[in-house]
Amino acid sequence: MAEHKWTMIVDLDKCTGCQACVVACHAENNVPIASETEVVRGRGLHWIRIERYWEGEFPNVKAKFLPVFCQQCGSAPCEPVCPTYASYHSEQENLNIQVYNRCVGTRYCGNNCPYKVRYFNYRAPEFDAPLEQQLNPDVTVRGAGVMEKCTFCIQRIRRAAETANAEGRPIADGEVQPACVQACPSDALIFGDKYDPESRVARMTPHNRQFKLLEHLGTEPAVYYLKGGETHVGD
Amino acid sequence: MTQITRRNFLKVSAAGTATAILTGCGGERWVELVPYVVAPEEQLAGVPTYFASTCRQCPAGCGILVKIMNGRAVKIEGNPEHPVNRGRLCARGQAGLQLLYNPDRVPGAVEQSERGSRRYTPIAWNEAINRLYEGLNEAGSRVAIWLGTTTSGHLVDLFTLFADAIGAQPPVRYDLYAGYNGYNVLETASEGLLGTAALPAYDLANADVIFSFGADYLGTWLNATGYGVGFGQFRAQPYGKRGVFVQFEPRMSNSGASADRWVPVRPGDEALVAQALVRLIADEGVGPAERVEAARAAAADVDLEAAAASCHLTVAELAALARTFAEAQRPVALPGAALAGRDNALAAVAAVQTLNLIAGTIGQPGGLLPAQALGDAGLRPAVTSSYGDAQALVARMQAGEIDVLLVHGANPVYEMPPESGIVEALANVQTVVSFNPLVDETAVYADLILPDRVYLEGWGYEVVTPALGGLPVVSSQQPVVGPLHDVRATGDVLLTVARGLAGAAQALPWEDEVAFLRERITALPVGAFGGEGPDLQWARFQQFGGWWPAQAPQAELPDVEVGGVAPVAAPQYQGDEGEFPYHLHLFMNPLLGDGRGASMPWLQGSPDPMTTISWQTWVELNPVTADELGIQTGDVVRVTSPFGTVEAPAYVYPAIRPDTIALPLGQGHTDSGRYARDRGANPVRLLGGEPGDNGANLMWSNVRVKIERTGEQKSLARFETTVEEAADAHPPI
Repeated sequence: MAEHKWTMIVDLDKCTGCQACVVACHAENNVPIASETEVVRGRGLHWIRIERYWEGEFPNVKAKFLPVFCQQCGSAPCEPVCPTYASYHSEQENLNIQVYNRCVGTRYCGNNCPYKVRYFNYRAPEFDAPLEQQLNPDVTVRGAGVMEKCTFCIQRIRRAAETANAEGRPIADGEVQPACVQACPSDALIFGDKYDPESRVARMTPHNRQFKLLEHLGTEPAVYYLKGGETHVGD
Repeated sequence: MTQITRRNFLKVSAAGTATAILTGCGGERWVELVPYVVAPEEQLAGVPTYFASTCRQCPAGCGILVKIMNGRAVKIEGNPEHPVNRGRLCARGQAGLQLLYNPDRVPGAVEQSERGSRRYTPIAWNEAINRLYEGLNEAGSRVAIWLGTTTSGHLVDLFTLFADAIGAQPPVRYDLYAGYNGYNVLETASEGLLGTAALPAYDLANADVIFSFGADYLGTWLNATGYGVGFGQFRAQPYGKRGVFVQFEPRMSNSGASADRWVPVRPGDEALVAQALVRLIADEGVGPAERVEAARAAAADVDLEAAAASCHLTVAELAALARTFAEAQRPVALPGAALAGRDNALAAVAAVQTLNLIAGTIGQPGGLLPAQALGDAGLRPAVTSSYGDAQALVARMQAGEIDVLLVHGANPVYEMPPESGIVEALANVQTVVSFNPLVDETAVYADLILPDRVYLEGWGYEVVTPALGGLPVVSSQQPVVGPLHDVRATGDVLLTVARGLAGAAQALPWEDEVAFLRERITALPVGAFGGEGPDLQWARFQQFGGWWPAQAPQAELPDVEVGGVAPVAAPQYQGDEGEFPYHLHLFMNPLLGDGRGASMPWLQGSPDPMTTISWQTWVELNPVTADELGIQTGDVVRVTSPFGTVEAPAYVYPAIRPDTIALPLGQGHTDSGRYARDRGANPVRLLGGEPGDNGANLMWSNVRVKIERTGEQKSLARFETTVEEAADAHPPI
């Protein structure tokens, strides 16, 4: 039995599409920036992306934002297809782990992921000196030929767990904040341990606006989306 | 602070000595390096240290915490205690590391013997400072200072004292951020309404209805991060109340995308619509009696049919919006950038502020917040100059009245329309000195570049009043890492040269900029973090990231009343409607802002929220317009105004009026480093040089353009896929 169930809630009523989470994630996780040519080729990469959907036609047109990142599935399609066990389920954190130095780049996981949140390093990342000094020493820089994806900032989870362990106490709610959650101005992202009944995510779920992405596939995502865009009652 | 890199550390260890003496980066002074055998108190391997400072990526003045590991800045986070942004930080704020570690920073003082040659010769700082001194000494009062809105408040204050002492005109504080958003117009309007010339602030967190007239307050307007925090609270009010947000703008911004109702108003008619709402509140008698009465006092004679038609609404639908506003508990109206970008700017902003007057929420929760006094420390928010002031300086340069031009934090050659004559005017200035950290478009025309420390290396403060919750704030900026290059703080350079100049020596007696900062800060009353005595007060100021009182002081509200009917002149457009059939709309996206984001790859490579395009400039047009003109996404088009031309690929955008063409600001740099250079187009080229509204503001939102295909194609670097494209890649099971 896992000790934690790290869970994210995305309140679509508050997401303004401002990209603060996207850049915060690049900074925290050493995610390389794809050049213009690479983006044109469809090889751009962000561990968190904000999808924008249009509804209706002018003048009654609406845009809707949907932040999408690894859903940390309870029954993850990416895990069983990995021939090298680079993609596996962690017992401790209840997360989908990607072990970069096991990965041989078959990209089966990326093909099998229904959310398209796994990104392949088509080339080795380059950081023009002295930009390499911005790199976070808590996170590996992935080389060419390796799949990568959102980790819920597992380095922050581990650091908080070690601090709490050293102080002989459980991790407090709010002590772990992935970079995206920390940056989000409008509090659209909420993160915590669902197994802690006092945590904000546990108290907020089940929620009357809640849904999960592609729920019918049975992937059991650890990310809850709260429907936005219309007046609702209760929060 | 000593910068200890791993390499230096290894060198020292290998030498087998307990201490070693190495020269600092530039050789200007000796630095003692102690290996980690005797670790600095705050340094533990693998354990980060956080320093509080102030973000300088836009003028808002957000508080930041910078995470330092082994002498390197590795992450910028929001300061949770800070009243401006409450621990949150936008995309540009996150990217500040890429200004610090930008590979194209000017590594030390350089001279350029032939302007525009881009050949720079390093010179010693002593020589550079001497040359600056000689230039200033000969020029006397024929000196001009051009600052930007991200120039630290302490430099604005020092330069102002300096200019006064040598008899020169006060510094011009103008850049595209201020010009586009009409900060000067907003300040003037606030002075008229509240008695203080300061940028307005709105308590969105406690509002229940927001009517925004083109204010992209969730993107780049005033304090986008703070307003983002407010918006989150606005959407989660007690008892499940969600707030109603209506956005009036010709092209959907990312704020507009979050609106409950997006109203595509014709460019120029925003003030007309605001007046129509007042008229409807008065005529229909909706809302509390005092609001109806106030509306009746202010209601102008408005053609309701025309106002509704310019919004693609019926009069009944517009009346329903008026009812929503009037019947709300705490409605608020925001005057956006486009209002300030035309000839009737002040009257248009006033028309929107009239809605706030009618709401009766000025100085109340959910309303327009008044500026707060900061005690007797001599600190006040730095005011911005108008485009007209900048244009007047260009004219003086052109007339040969300026011998020395000092530029800090602004990039006029990129930011001013070519029609303003800025490039020609620079040729008439004997000595141009740039203090900017990159070789930007203006530095190309400079004789001397004396790079300042970037904000993560340097000292400063920023006065923000009011911030969220109505608190007055003096935000603290301190070095979080040692200088990466042989750069000198501009404040110190200025104080050094001032010592030799008649008049200036007495006016600027401080030994260095830190002495000046300390004197100013310790004169403040005791703030939220206490601190008895100047030493403790100064320490707390740095430790907590600034000064603010524990509770918002009771503001003295000026007697504000609806001042009767204020007519707004019909908008005048630049360009003949027959020749130039479309309205031009410019916008800043939350990544590149006014163009200073372009030198940072994180901001270049992250997608624009609405189009998902990165690295490029594009031209947005409505699908109907695109069909009529036979233009498809990816066709390179030529946009021509009466003043200039730009070319960029088209992007068919569903949420823009068919009579409007929109372009993002920020690209089209010829310099500013490898990531910015030769990429996209600068739509400022489409604007005229003459200021509008009695010579005050940059007229960017009343320009007409025509558009035509060039016959070329360019692939757009976008992250989105359409349903058809996705179906090709992944056939349905």
